[in-house]
Amino acid sequence: MRVLFFAHLKDVTGQESVNIILPFPHDPGQLWERLLELYPALAAHQSKVRLSRNWEYATAETLFQNEDEVALIPPVSGG
Amino acid sequence: MDLDITLTDAPIAEQISAPFPVGSYGAWLEFRGVVREEEAGRKIAALEYEAYPEMAVREMRRLVNDIAGRHPCLAVRVIHRIGLIPVGEAAVYAGVASRHRAEGFALLAEFMDRLKLDVPIWKRGSRGFEPVMAKVSVNVPAGAGRKPSPLSLDEARAKIQSCCQPLPAIRVPLVEAVGRVLREPVRATEDLPPFDCSTRDGYAVLADDPAEQHEVVGVIHAAGWQPRQLRSGEAVRVATGAPMPCGGLRVIMQEDAVLEGNYVRLNRTDSAINIRRRGDEVKAGQLLVPEHSKLDAGRLALLATAGLAYPLVSPRLRVVHLITGDEIVPPGQTPQPGQIRDSNSILIRGLLAGQVGELYQAHLPENFAAAWSQLPLNKIAVADLVLVSGGASVGERDFTRPLLERLGFHIQFNQVNLRPGRPLIFGTKGSQAAFGLPGNPLSHFVCFHFAVAMALARFNGDCPPVFQRGVLPDRFVSETCSRETLWPARLTLSAGRVILHPLNWGSSGDVTCFAQANALIRVPAGQANFAAGAEVEFLPAGAI
Repeated sequence: MRVLFFAHLKDVTGQESVNIILPFPHDPGQLWERLLELYPALAAHQSKVRLSRNWEYATAETLFQNEDEVALIPPVSGG
Repeated sequence: MDLDITLTDAPIAEQISAPFPVGSYGAWLEFRGVVREEEAGRKIAALEYEAYPEMAVREMRRLVNDIAGRHPCLAVRVIHRIGLIPVGEAAVYAGVASRHRAEGFALLAEFMDRLKLDVPIWKRGSRGFEPVMAKVSVNVPAGAGRKPSPLSLDEARAKIQSCCQPLPAIRVPLVEAVGRVLREPVRATEDLPPFDCSTRDGYAVLADDPAEQHEVVGVIHAAGWQPRQLRSGEAVRVATGAPMPCGGLRVIMQEDAVLEGNYVRLNRTDSAINIRRRGDEVKAGQLLVPEHSKLDAGRLALLATAGLAYPLVSPRLRVVHLITGDEIVPPGQTPQPGQIRDSNSILIRGLLAGQVGELYQAHLPENFAAAWSQLPLNKIAVADLVLVSGGASVGERDFTRPLLERLGFHIQFNQVNLRPGRPLIFGTKGSQAAFGLPGNPLSHFVCFHFAVAMALARFNGDCPPVFQRGVLPDRFVSETCSRETLWPARLTLSAGRVILHPLNWGSSGDVTCFAQANALIRVPAGQANFAAGAEVEFLPAGAI
């Protein structure tokens, strides 16, 4: 699974993206656990960050799989 | 509803045409969100925007469709700009056409509100502008009080190459990628073709089917997908490009087939299979386009075929070109005694055509204080490259060096041991570069090709232009010069050889020869005496 980081999360993780392999489909809580293992510094941002799966915002029911493109979306500021 | 959503790193046009058909709508509302000069209480010169392009476009589309369900409109056009945007320029444009104004206003207002909540676009820092206010010497010849030690041509090029670094790459839609440099290797994510397909219009039958007459049991068009296991005595009519219904087939071209009702009689005149196998052309994982490739028509088509809708490319370069000199008048004006027409503006525009995203040109008076007050500081703050024409040869009225220094550029060199183009100035400020180009047009032409082109290539992550080898058709003797010379020449191709015809060139002010020049021959210092057929080095300088 490819996970993308945007805006200040690039600085937090030091990366624009990371490839991770899930042993089984993850719900948002499981995916966050996995991400926080890799990047503990994300914890400070978790409450404000939304997840997307294949270019759509994820919901509590979303299941993330290995072929998905996932992004961490911090609060936006376009326009 | 007609919906058009664009993400771009180019400036949003000042005029955007209303949608068609004209007459169907009674309101055409346009909104532009513009970068203000103050951000978080601080004065800025530009804001930088970043996007998750695939999702941003989808999300904007979703928002418009959702809102239009409650406020039906006829056409919506949204353009969001990303990258560095100078103060005063639009970051977002939204145009809405509706039957009456009420639903248009409603859609526009709600869209802009929700854009700021849900669309993955971020302001990513700002760029300030603080000119260096240190006392600078005005009207003092560049390098005064110091022994100037001009760099050689190779040293100057090496300096530019090391000072100019590739700009951060950006993902843009394919239509925005035309002519840019690819900044990642692109590999095939799937086999091409993705399935076995016919190379002929004809009939697919089992490869080893001995039957002469076959029942036509199906028709598959180019876009069809009808898997089925064929049996002996059965045929499927297929079009060129059509996917095969199963494995183990061959296609008999229709010229060798006679159709009788629902049956077809096949003459096997050859053993051709007429099937292109899955992965015949490209295997998944294979390198399609290497990094640093310029995205021309063919490569873009390949990226489209491979499904890469948002390639990682170089940003479009922004260039500010300042033209100085009180003696120049526009081309359409008759010069007074002592004046000349300005040819450098259009020369630089022509040389940069297709290579940069934005070129901003401004004329400056030679009076330093007056020039300083007229500088387009917001444009300069976001420019990757600043070019200053004129004022670079050593003389009392020159001011390029003090101007660049006051703008905060560190002067890397101010002379090159080269003819023409000796008084070339090169400076850097962070990732920005600046050149002071000697005033006469031929010097501009030469300095552009040996120096500015190097900076452009480096910024783009492109391969820098290098000297190549060609042949002189006749004996060529140049006059003695203590400097290396880049001699304008006409390059032609003849029987697979590169032939270089040196052009008549009186002084560096000669404006006729560079209308033909498309190469610059490298002539060593001293007197060059080349025999007919001699091989020389040259730098390409235009189309062949």
